Amino acid sequence: MARRIGLFVLALAMVGAMCGAALAGDTLADVKKSGVLVAGVKDSLPPFGSVDPNTKEFVGYDIDFVKYIAKKLGVKVEYKPVSSANRMPMLMEGRIDLIAATMTKNPERAKQIDFSYTYFLTGQKFLTKKGAVKSLKDLEGQKIGTAKGSTSEQNVKKAVPSATVLSFDDYPQGVLAVQQGKVIAVTTDESILAGQLGKLEKNPATKGKFEIPDIAISDEPYGIGMRKGDTNWVKFVNDTILEMEKNGEAAKIFTKWFGPDSDSPIARGSFTITADKRGTE
Amino acid sequence: MIGGLDFSVVSDNLSYFFIGRYPKGPLGGVGLTLYLAVVSLALSFIGGLVLGLMSVSRNRLLRFGSSTVIQTIRGMPLLMVIFWMFFLLPAMLGSGMTASWTIIVALTLFTSAYMSEIVRAGIVGIPKGQTEAAISTGLSHGQAMFYIILPQALRNMIPSFVNQFVSMIKDTSLAFIVGVTELTQIATQINNRTMLYPTEIFIFIAVIYFVICFAFTELSRWLERRLAYRKAI
Amino acid sequence: MLTYKFDWAIVTSGKYFDWIVSGFYVTIKLSMVSIALSFLLGLIIAIMRMSHLRPVRWFAHGYLEFFRNTPLLVQIFFWYFGSYKVLPAVANDWLVKQDFEFAAAVIALTIYTSAFIAEDIRSGVRSIPKEQMEAARSSGFSYIRSMQYIILPQAVRLTIPPLINQFLNLMKNSSLAMTIGVAELMYQARQVESYTFKGFEAFSAATLVYLALSFTITGLMTLYDKKVLQPLKGR
Repeated sequence: MARRIGLFVLALAMVGAMCGAALAGDTLADVKKSGVLVAGVKDSLPPFGSVDPNTKEFVGYDIDFVKYIAKKLGVKVEYKPVSSANRMPMLMEGRIDLIAATMTKNPERAKQIDFSYTYFLTGQKFLTKKGAVKSLKDLEGQKIGTAKGSTSEQNVKKAVPSATVLSFDDYPQGVLAVQQGKVIAVTTDESILAGQLGKLEKNPATKGKFEIPDIAISDEPYGIGMRKGDTNWVKFVNDTILEMEKNGEAAKIFTKWFGPDSDSPIARGSFTITADKRGTE
Repeated sequence: MIGGLDFSVVSDNLSYFFIGRYPKGPLGGVGLTLYLAVVSLALSFIGGLVLGLMSVSRNRLLRFGSSTVIQTIRGMPLLMVIFWMFFLLPAMLGSGMTASWTIIVALTLFTSAYMSEIVRAGIVGIPKGQTEAAISTGLSHGQAMFYIILPQALRNMIPSFVNQFVSMIKDTSLAFIVGVTELTQIATQINNRTMLYPTEIFIFIAVIYFVICFAFTELSRWLERRLAYRKAI
Repeated sequence: MLTYKFDWAIVTSGKYFDWIVSGFYVTIKLSMVSIALSFLLGLIIAIMRMSHLRPVRWFAHGYLEFFRNTPLLVQIFFWYFGSYKVLPAVANDWLVKQDFEFAAAVIALTIYTSAFIAEDIRSGVRSIPKEQMEAARSSGFSYIRSMQYIILPQAVRLTIPPLINQFLNLMKNSSLAMTIGVAELMYQARQVESYTFKGFEAFSAATLVYLALSFTITGLMTLYDKKVLQPLKGR
């Protein structure tokens, strides 16, 4: 048996050696050549990315940004559903050309991949049953739901160390757990929670029973993720989103998904897309 | 209590459950589940045959090699094999692999290890005298295996293969974890969107899986009885 | 070209090592609790399957077929997310106060595995010659008592190898509990990956632990066969 395990370790090491190389070519040229932009997006997280049940098309804030980028390039878009946990590996392995999936910029991630300028700014809050949580104290020693591999998970562990953090594959499963009383709160970015609350408000069975108390534990700047060192591609995406800010497209997309008449109204406040380095240093 | 369930969420999304975004996007749902299972099973048959033949080979190195591969794979959860493939394949083969094909490779690798045992048992189950008789008529060892032993062994293995197909269909549900839109992933998507009907959604897909798997389990039993009957006469 | 730098230290000591170890404990606990319950439930179902009462037999048969022919993952999701609508409110409230993730995983694993174990026990019982039951009955034992004292003890002994095999499957299947937030070995390996981006090291560590567990269990099976079953057969 020892020999067998030894052999296995040897095999692993060999495969590992082959793994050494990862790709960082010129995505801009590749996408133009192939005529297809492969975008990693969320598929069940309105208002950022979800499949419309009637048309079966992808829709959302992230999707509209991807569409604009593709239009400017004159290429088609192929959407690949990603989760918070698998989006970075998928990008680094070259399965997707960019990540537009509610991804917070932070220094650890910025070591692995490159980010665009901030295209959305929000803060991490909690969604709970009405009246259940008034301050961070109410969360101590409780179970809190979030998604695997997200910054939300790491932030909440820091903010409420005594809480038990349960990580699901994605946020809606956490919301379901709140609804069923299995966790006291689900925590992530306000923008995502607002979308979830909007869904709960639309349903007569859950209307008026949930809220997002005004407790923020972090700033969350979203960036579009691209492979490290893919300079031309990063510049192109950055130029494009700055252009979107200038011609009013970015504000229009915001109003479409988060304006007062949307399902998840939040304020854009003073946020505009600028050549910022937020979250990456 | 079943009276409190509202299955309209199922009827509203019926086509999504069965074919996913097709024809506007790739095939998904039940269609993709069956596709993954059929392709992986066909490939596992080949993989199982190769590993199985290696394990009854007279060459010690081949025997040792196959048994190492088989034991290692059988010692791991399928989920682990899937993660490994997701991690290693792109590094080794570049970015050409889709998620569906990565899952197919993982399922194939995993199931081949189990298939090889079926193949081995099938070959060992044919009386030794047959090989000896074949060799005494002038066939080589390899010829005896391919023309005499294997055809009989394979026929006896058919019910086990069908059974393996049932496991395969159940195993495809793990593709959910890496975002392949087969039936389980579709169900979670709809559940995430609608929020209020997890009970209805999961009962529904459990029944779908059951109908498919049970049909094949019965087929396997029927084949087994027929085979037993043919042997008896 | 980027080059992947190996950093085995992260999984051999320190915080991430502790995560893997705690995952290992949860996997063991989950498997142990579930196998014990599966055995009990499997025994009950097997006895029901052999009952003289037709409805009881049918129920057990339906149970077996349904739970064997549905994916475990779907069953886990059902118990965790979907069971609240079909369980009575009292049971729900009680469950939510417990470690519900762990409980749902145990319930799903137990029900799934018990269906396989019940079939193993049944074929064990069938391999005991019929005459033994007849002899027991004619010497004054009731059906239940003859089962209890004569048939089952022998059947269980024969059923141990397939049971160990089921334990092996269960241990591997327990990895699916990560999907509902149970912090077992696979969950922790993925956590290490997402915190450190060192997937290769994290998965290698977890793989080695799973293989060590599997080989230990297989070894036990061979030992049992050699020390207990072979001598019995030789007698």
